[in-house]
Amino acid sequence: MKYLFVILSLSLLFIAPFFGQIDISLSQINTLTSIDHKLFWDLRIPRVVVAFFTGGLLGLSGLVFQSLFRNPMSTPFTLGVASGATLGTAFAIVFSFIPFIALFGFFGALMTIVVLFTITAKLKAYETSSLLLVGIALSFFYSAALMILFYLSDQTQSYEIVRFTMGSLDVVGMRSVIPIVVASILLLLTTLKYKREIKLLLTSYDNAFLKGMDVQRVNTILLVSISMAIGVAVSITGPIGFVGLIIPHILKTIYKRSADQLLLLSFFYSGVFLVFCDLVARNLGTSSDVPIGVVTSFLGGPFFIYLLVRRKKQ
Amino acid sequence: MLQVNDFSNSILSKINFHLKDEENLIILGSNGAGKSTLAKVICGITKSDKIIICNKQLDSLSSQKRAQLINYVPPKLDIFDEYLSLMEYLLLSKLHAKLGIDEVIALLGIEELKDKACKSLSSGEQQLAMLASCILHNAKITIFDEPTANLDPQKTLKVYKILKSNHIQNRIIITHDLNLAHKLGYKILYIKDGKIEFFDENEKFFEESNLTRFFGSSIKSIDNYYMVNL
Repeated sequence: MKYLFVILSLSLLFIAPFFGQIDISLSQINTLTSIDHKLFWDLRIPRVVVAFFTGGLLGLSGLVFQSLFRNPMSTPFTLGVASGATLGTAFAIVFSFIPFIALFGFFGALMTIVVLFTITAKLKAYETSSLLLVGIALSFFYSAALMILFYLSDQTQSYEIVRFTMGSLDVVGMRSVIPIVVASILLLLTTLKYKREIKLLLTSYDNAFLKGMDVQRVNTILLVSISMAIGVAVSITGPIGFVGLIIPHILKTIYKRSADQLLLLSFFYSGVFLVFCDLVARNLGTSSDVPIGVVTSFLGGPFFIYLLVRRKKQ
Repeated sequence: MLQVNDFSNSILSKINFHLKDEENLIILGSNGAGKSTLAKVICGITKSDKIIICNKQLDSLSSQKRAQLINYVPPKLDIFDEYLSLMEYLLLSKLHAKLGIDEVIALLGIEELKDKACKSLSSGEQQLAMLASCILHNAKITIFDEPTANLDPQKTLKVYKILKSNHIQNRIIITHDLNLAHKLGYKILYIKDGKIEFFDENEKFFEESNLTRFFGSSIKSIDNYYMVNL
């Protein structure tokens, strides 16, 4: 069963670039001068690569967030970290700091995490839902700030921000793919390096402390790495919600293993999931592609409510 | 070996006592007296510069060095992840013990629980799991917070034997069980409303006058066993 999933996923990754609004003729892909060649290598392949690595990064961040913040519903998106990155990125668009757009995304994300941690330290709320409420409050605050940016921006800029906040995997050429691939692989390596520490945190914060772990240092390293990765991802694709919520949760119920053993699996399947969502978005037959963030939110919103209801029952 | 120098916070006031080398301790006191609060201060979960263990100030030590000196076993096993198995938990606990994991599992007779998720264990099984964990950790001083509360007689006996055994270096045991305190025979510290009311040898605590002083008429002694006077 599990092997079947791996094979299905790999074949999905393999066939994904061949489908889209415009049919590509297979025989032309390797003809350098053809449109099909350009379409396939400069648009389709980079898009699938970006979808896979963005998905992986989001899924992995979600899993680690759920472990660190002690709540199955906490992800960088539900806690407002992605909104922070979005605001940072919009800021860069309006005030023409485009070359440093990823840096602004990172600062937005990092700022949010600092706020979250200060508040949790005050509330002692690692294990309650208060943190989610803080996340919601932060998201509201950021959307208000985003409104101000709209107000200050000219027409092109505001169109750019709107497109951007819907989440989009439009990339051109392999070069624009590099930052996201690097960011997600770095995040993956960091989490794998701290696997034992993550596992200790899965027992309890006190237990991790008593076993001689520097809890604060590890938390800081993991959260800063996630902010960086989310900052880079958001600055390129915009906010894409709910991947980090859905996939880790499904994997837990299927594999029944502790979260530290799902790091690689979350990365892989979240990547596959986003490629799949993108494939759906590109082939709905609408005049232009449906933004990817819309597709994942359509799936994720109801799933989030399902989790809430299930939790209440327990 | 252990010095607590004049520690005060919102619950405890002017806690001041020393333990000599290789000395063990029992902490008694009514509910809410501040026993667990004191335990968390001694093990470092609550930060303080008033704790000295083996001549070293606890909050100045590296995390690993601290873990080598002190460990705390809470009243309940607290695990967040729903699928983390007992074996995985014990693997994480193996720090300074000479015994291997399988030996400790055999010692406590919890072989059949190995692959179960920690969250699914009963409260008695969780207590045994935490004992196994602290043996594998093998810190210089281990603090047990009510290790025999809510246990059936067989498990109480098992825990008692482990507590007394040399698998544990030095121990501080928080309990309400006077029989356990009496049989273990270690020095006794009695806390009331955040203050130390008694700190002396075991026999002295169990003198008639002290028992009346601390427990009034609620305790009855028959043949050196102490029971609640229902």
